[in-house]
Amino acid sequence: MVEKRWLNALAKGDPQALGGLYELYGERIFRYAYRMLGNRSDAEDATAETFLRVLRRSAELRADGAFRTWLFRITRNLCIDKLRQHKLMELPPDAQYSGSEERAALRITVQQALADLPNEYREPLVLCDLEDMAAREAAEILNISVPALKSRLYRGRRALRDKLIGTMERNR
Amino acid sequence: MNNELYRKLVDMYAGGELPEELEQELRGRALSDSGLAIEMQSLSDTVDALRAIPDPEFTEESYQRVLMRLYARGADIRPTGPTPTHLQYYLPIQG
Repeated sequence: MVEKRWLNALAKGDPQALGGLYELYGERIFRYAYRMLGNRSDAEDATAETFLRVLRRSAELRADGAFRTWLFRITRNLCIDKLRQHKLMELPPDAQYSGSEERAALRITVQQALADLPNEYREPLVLCDLEDMAAREAAEILNISVPALKSRLYRGRRALRDKLIGTMERNR
Repeated sequence: MNNELYRKLVDMYAGGELPEELEQELRGRALSDSGLAIEMQSLSDTVDALRAIPDPEFTEESYQRVLMRLYARGADIRPTGPTPTHLQYYLPIQG
């Protein structure tokens, strides 16, 4: 397994190991951070900081299948800190336009509605519906039980539906 | 079936988690229950719209900027992939 090889190499101080782990997980971590934060620059910061933490904790990391969960958990904590700063500074999120105007408008509306949800609903939606993560892993990242995760996921979808109801009807 | 059970089934239906047999049964019931039909439709439309949000693009520039941030913080990181040609050289500033 590639992850195991790089983690063992990292523990031995191989300078290529961090690069290998970045190749392996950099994109997913960036995507997750971007979805949590809504802007590229902060997502890049959070990604870099996540891999710095990997380096700092290299002696303790084990390739027992929990590394990816740990990595996402680190990113999540960094994102939460950044979101707190954003609340103070009110930074605007990047808007992503693509496809037909109508479809692009719907996507932006959905993204905005998602961003407006309370964190406890938004996080399960990002992990399960956007990152396509299994409920068990998402629950571990959020440090909650699987039933609690599912409950938040379902309530989150309903809350999102309630925010989007007018838009969805117009686009049907 | 009570309301709470319906609600759970609709939640699972919208997420594509219901076994085929139960999904068929729920669809059948929705034919004679317009409230249930609207609930199923609106919630699965929401999940579809959410899942249709495109992945944020991890561009080459973002990839390199993350690397630069790591270098700047003193990390000895050596990417295993090749550096793209346009980022290999710094051109002198003219003017």
